[in-house]
Amino acid sequence: MTPAGERMTLNLGPQHPATHGVLRIVIESDGEVVAACTPDHGYLHRSIEKIGECVEWPLFVPYTDRVDYVCAMNANLAYCVAVEKLLNTSAATAVQVPLRAECIRVLVAELNRISSHLIGVGAMAMDLGAYTPFMHGIAQRELVNDIFERLCGQRLTYNYVTIGGVGFDLYAGAEAEITRFFEQFEREMVRFNKLITTSTILRDRCAGVAPINAAEAVAWGLVGPNLRASGVDWDLRRDEPYGIYGQLGVRVPVGQAFAGKNGVVGDCFDRYLVRLLEIQESVRLCREVLKMLPPPADKPTDPVGGFQADVKRLLVKPPKGEVHCRTEAPRGEMGYYIVSDGTKVPYRVRVRTGSFTAAGIFHKVMRNIFLADVVAVIGSFDVVVPEIDR
Amino acid sequence: MSLGYAVDALARWLTGSEDPASWAIAVAVFAVFVAPILLVVFPIAALGQILERKVAAAVQRRHGPNSVGFDGVLRLAFRVCLFFLPRARQDRLLAAFCALPGIKGLLHLARRLGLGQLVADGVKMLGKEDMVPSGADGVVFRLAPYLALTGAFLPFCAMPFAHHLVMLEVPVSALYAIAVSGITVMALLMAGWGSGNKFSLLGGMRAVAQMVSYEIPVALAIAGVVLWSGTMDLHAIVGQQYQPGVLTFLGWNLLQSPFLALLAVVFFLAGLAECQRTPFDMAEAESELVSGFNTEYSGLRWGMFAMAEYTEMLLIGALFASLFLGGYQSPIGEQWIVTWPVWLESLAHLLLFVTKVLASFLLMMWIRWTLPRLRVDQVMRLCWLKLVPLCLLAMVGLAFTILLGNGTVPGTAYGRLPALPRLDLGVLGRLAAWALPLALAAILVVAARKRHGQLHPALRQLTGGSA
Amino acid sequence: MTALAPDVLTERVRGLAPAIEAQVSENGQAWLLVPARDLVLVCSHLRDHKDLAFDSLMDLTGYDLSRYPSSPRNDAIAVVYLLHSLRHRHKLTLKVYAPRADCVVPTVSGVWPAALYFEREVWDLLGVRFADHPSLRRIMCPDDWVGHPLRKDYLYPAEYQGVSHERDGQRFEHGPRRVGDPDPAPPTAAPKGDRG
Repeated sequence: MTPAGERMTLNLGPQHPATHGVLRIVIESDGEVVAACTPDHGYLHRSIEKIGECVEWPLFVPYTDRVDYVCAMNANLAYCVAVEKLLNTSAATAVQVPLRAECIRVLVAELNRISSHLIGVGAMAMDLGAYTPFMHGIAQRELVNDIFERLCGQRLTYNYVTIGGVGFDLYAGAEAEITRFFEQFEREMVRFNKLITTSTILRDRCAGVAPINAAEAVAWGLVGPNLRASGVDWDLRRDEPYGIYGQLGVRVPVGQAFAGKNGVVGDCFDRYLVRLLEIQESVRLCREVLKMLPPPADKPTDPVGGFQADVKRLLVKPPKGEVHCRTEAPRGEMGYYIVSDGTKVPYRVRVRTGSFTAAGIFHKVMRNIFLADVVAVIGSFDVVVPEIDR
Repeated sequence: MSLGYAVDALARWLTGSEDPASWAIAVAVFAVFVAPILLVVFPIAALGQILERKVAAAVQRRHGPNSVGFDGVLRLAFRVCLFFLPRARQDRLLAAFCALPGIKGLLHLARRLGLGQLVADGVKMLGKEDMVPSGADGVVFRLAPYLALTGAFLPFCAMPFAHHLVMLEVPVSALYAIAVSGITVMALLMAGWGSGNKFSLLGGMRAVAQMVSYEIPVALAIAGVVLWSGTMDLHAIVGQQYQPGVLTFLGWNLLQSPFLALLAVVFFLAGLAECQRTPFDMAEAESELVSGFNTEYSGLRWGMFAMAEYTEMLLIGALFASLFLGGYQSPIGEQWIVTWPVWLESLAHLLLFVTKVLASFLLMMWIRWTLPRLRVDQVMRLCWLKLVPLCLLAMVGLAFTILLGNGTVPGTAYGRLPALPRLDLGVLGRLAAWALPLALAAILVVAARKRHGQLHPALRQLTGGSA
Repeated sequence: MTALAPDVLTERVRGLAPAIEAQVSENGQAWLLVPARDLVLVCSHLRDHKDLAFDSLMDLTGYDLSRYPSSPRNDAIAVVYLLHSLRHRHKLTLKVYAPRADCVVPTVSGVWPAALYFEREVWDLLGVRFADHPSLRRIMCPDDWVGHPLRKDYLYPAEYQGVSHERDGQRFEHGPRRVGDPDPAPPTAAPKGDRG
């Protein structure tokens, strides 16, 4: 299936139903076959890294929400863990995150990972023409959002994780609500999977499409589920643990040509299925964390750890120097490279996101495939455009 | 070709003579045309949009349209009809009307079902600007929606809605139906080409490739039924499925032979593809081609395409009912219905027919909201490598069944139709005819289950099984 | 899988080229300063040698050194290469100083294809030209954007495509002023051309 005749330029995006926002891909096509493609980015560039050089350390947290608003908790966490690592390079500024805050962090991060992956797999199914799984996924995401709303008042951009802790303690009855949520959630996921994951059409559409082998995936900088789908057994939560992940024993699913007879390790179906398996793992992690959650402080509405009070906030003044810290967000490694000049404003904040490198490999894998496969590939990488453009 | 019973009777009644004048025939044709097509097909096709939304909502566990009822329409009607009265008086009358028993409940029901959406959407579509993109071929672009609608509606002229409700008795109506519905292909190509949009063009090309291909299994499935009944007249095919006794449905073609049942399945699938429905909605393919061939259409022209799509679904449903489900006949006790007065019989037939058509209609919607879309090459492969060979196999099987069969029964209880012979294999013959293919099907099912067992353990575990 | 200790790693890399300097940042993070001319050689070796096997480029970024307090190189942009070996699970940080006057660094996209995008971003935001990069175009900003926003002396253009960046007669400045900062450029001095 290689293109032969005259070529036509087709603009997929920036406004297109399958590009999940404002991604633009200029496609050279020969009828239905894509000969080459050139992604064009920047439609959602909000100069977040530049803003980082203008606001004080704790005030950048709300901006991290906007780096990836599908999993804002993980984005908050990535920044805060990085700043804590920077603070801890000097004994004078070292912070200790209380255990309860660490537990809550894992809880919200994994809940947000679940809801983010639901969007990922649901949107991919929608790109392949199945609308119903997306709606069922969204319904479950809404329940997670309900929990987050009661926790911090927001449904999308939470600004919840703070440097040194979290913004608020769990509300009364949160544990029970989360446990109840998981009970019905697992039933729902079985239905979801029966509806779409085992669908022969879905597997036929995804099996063997745009496979990426392990060496390529590493060299092209793929991270997170996209990397694991290619068979690379690597998860920062297990291999470079931060917070209390080291105590949790994270189990890492990797791609194994799940699609069956036409499947190849690292094809679209593996990328899809690895996310579903990660959802299961996240549920397990949350349950573990709920078991080891220490009792709350005396005043439950107090911020757990953290520099919440205004006076304290101004005191975040990391030592001069630099640090690189990466955490596992739903779309893979979210790496912060931070340079501090010893003032209360960062000198340089660099965010490295999973979608950015995933978009980098587009022009390589979207070659000599069908136009219909292009949307499957975009969906399978689960790119979120604000994360590419920042 | 002859006039349908109702047309004939009406024309004779109008002129009072046995040889009606041509104006009377014209009036009668129009009246009969209006009755089934404009009063049945048109509203159902228009309701299709709301029905679709309701079905989607049910599948996705939402409510769907649930707020717009007829309250506004009712108020407007009072204002317009009673324009000579002061407003307060109008309001009092309206309140009094609403206080009548049952009215509140009906209004509430209309709101809950979102029926008012029909009016609202219609007004919205009428109010939209009629746009022709600057790069479009104006004439082709404008003409396409009319053609689509024509292609979708014309086949209904020969459709037996009831025994006495057929506009034209065409001796080859089965052929006629698929022939004129082919106009739609042209319309989609014109829309795709004329829009001056690359997505439309791709959609149009896909539509043509797909519809031309799928016409073959559709035609072969119809040919199988024709082979079985020995006639191309839809009305005769329907009449032939008549079975005296209480359990009329035993005479339906679907149950006559496993090969006919197979053809029914193929016909339904290929029919889905013919009306561009998921999983075969290549031409629209929202996530790939924005909206495919109708990307550039808006307002009323877009509405015509939507209408054509739903009408085409109804057509497939109607053909399916006529060919395999005994058409307008009741599943039980048809022998009594034919003794009723003509008007009552026709009404009963019409309702039964509409019910059968709606069943297919809803099934198509259910499928749409459940399955993902196939890829272009997979659609073609399914047609040429699966459906067409299956059709041929079924034809061969049918031919052998006919050769082996013996004995005939009078095919119809309706006096106006020729009493065609119909195959009767007897009870044992029927059992034998079913046994072998059923055994085959059972093997296939077992194989499929085994294949399901070969799912990757991770998939099995995700669906609730053990890894 | 044998992770090399940081000091062993440093020594191994320093053996590759005499000009490589081992450095430690103020908060104790070790890194290596690599001269631009040795970069590709060093990187290829780092990737290919079986004891080192840096198969993954975690990140490639940079920052402007010009306002970094007590910076040894106020005239340079630092390009930072964060390397990681999935096979041996060890890490390494390389830096290259690119003088602002002649801001060119060889591309490492031949070593790690992931650098294709990273380098485009660094070029776009910091104005470091990567020699031999196959498609060094802007990635975040529009193609006709003037200047490189993450440079510390960057001023927003007075207008872009006819859209003014002034509000209430005031220009947006790039951030809160710090003690010891030079006065910002007067608002009338609209930037002309590439300020790098």
